[in-house]
Amino acid sequence: MARGVISPVTGHYVTIDVQGDRCKVFYLENGRGRPLVCQHTAGCHNHQWRDLLEDEVITRDYRVIAYDLARHGKSDPPHNTEWWKEEYRLTADYFVDFITEFCDALELEDPIFMGSSFGGNVALQLALRHPERFAGVIPVEAADYSPGFYLDWWQHPHANAAQVCASGVWDLMAPQSPEMDRRLTWFYYSQGAEAFKGDLYFYSVDHDLRGRLHEINGEECPVVLMTGTYDYLTTPEDSRRSAQQIKGGHFIEMPDIGHFPMSENYPVFRTYLQEALRHIEGATPKR
Amino acid sequence: MSTTYAADRWATEFQHVSDDDAELSAHGRYFSCDYLLDMGERSYIVRVHRGKIEEIVVDPGPLEAYQFALRASADTWRKFSQDPPPPMFHGIWAASFREDMSLEGDLLVLMQNLRCLTRQLELLRVTGAPV
Repeated sequence: MARGVISPVTGHYVTIDVQGDRCKVFYLENGRGRPLVCQHTAGCHNHQWRDLLEDEVITRDYRVIAYDLARHGKSDPPHNTEWWKEEYRLTADYFVDFITEFCDALELEDPIFMGSSFGGNVALQLALRHPERFAGVIPVEAADYSPGFYLDWWQHPHANAAQVCASGVWDLMAPQSPEMDRRLTWFYYSQGAEAFKGDLYFYSVDHDLRGRLHEINGEECPVVLMTGTYDYLTTPEDSRRSAQQIKGGHFIEMPDIGHFPMSENYPVFRTYLQEALRHIEGATPKR
Repeated sequence: MSTTYAADRWATEFQHVSDDDAELSAHGRYFSCDYLLDMGERSYIVRVHRGKIEEIVVDPGPLEAYQFALRASADTWRKFSQDPPPPMFHGIWAASFREDMSLEGDLLVLMQNLRCLTRQLELLRVTGAPV
C-alpha cells in the first residue's frame, strides 16, 4: 500500500505513423465514457489539462485524454527522421493527420475534440475535414484566422528563449486568474521554445479558414467556440464572428479569463466547459 | 497627477517598490537596461542596473539616451496601472497588439530583459500611474 496520494490519472505511450513519421506519443488519461480528446496550446504540453484530468464530475461521464503533440512534453520528435536537418513548421495537413491517427490508434468512438489556441484552430480544421469522425469539437480561443504571432523572437539566439516564450505569453492570461496557476503556465512555457515557433507557423500562417467556415456543417459535427475576454490574440469578437459563419455554430464568451483558460483558472473554465458539453450532447446526431 | 513634485514622488516610490520586490531580487542579477516610458503627458527614463533601479529621469531632455521606449497615451498607462487592469490594457504585448501602445528602439534589449521588465512594469499597479 503506497503511503502517498496516488492520482487516478495514468500515462501511456502509443506509437503512430503520421505521414511517414514514426511518433511515440505520450498521453495522460482518466475517466470513462465518451472520449474527450484534449490538445494543449502551442509550445506547451498536456499538463495544461491537469485539473480537468482529475475532475471527479467530468471524468464520471468522459474519458479525458490529453496527449503531447510530437516534439512537446514527453512526445519526442520522430525517431525515424533526421528532424534536426530542417526547420520545424507545423502545417494544417500534418496536424489533422496526427490527431486522426492518434484517435484511430486508441480506437476511439465518436470522441469530442477540444483544443486551445492552435489546438482550437485545428479543432476547426477537424470539423471542416472530418466531421463524421467527431461527436463535436470545442475550439477554445480560436478563430478563422489568427495572424501576428509567428515571430523570430521565440528563437533569437541573443535572448533567453525560455524566458521570452514564457513571459511573451504572460499577457495572454487574465490578471484575475490565480497567481499559482499563471506561474505554472509560465513555467510550462519556459520548456517549449524549440517547438513554439514552428507551432505558430500553423497558428498564424498556415491556418487560414477565412471565407471557408460556412463549409463546416455544425449540425453534423457540433462546434462550440469559447473565448476569454483577456485574450489579445483571438478576441471574443474574433471567435463570435467565426461561430456566426458556421451552420449551427455556438459561441460562449468567458469573462475575466485569458488564452489558457484550462490552465490559468480551471474552476472558472469548467463551468463553461460543462455548458459546451451539454450543448454538444444535445446537438449530436445519432449515428 | 501633473506636478513635478508628484512625478518625483512617484519615481522615489517606484524605485523602492521595485528594489524591494522579491521576484526582481531573486532573478534580477542580469537585469540591466535603460528604457523610456512615454506616457503622453509626462515621460520617464528608468535606468536599471543588475536588478536595481539606478535612476529615474523625470521628463528627460532631448539628448538623454535610452535603449528602447514604451509609448502610449496617458489614458492607456492609467488603465495599465489599475488593479486589475481592464482587458487589452493588462500588459505591454496586449496593449501593443490591441491598443495605442508602441514598442520602439532596440527591441532585442527589451526581449533580453523581458522576464524582469514584465514584473517591474506590473509594479505600476502598486504605485499607480505617474500621469
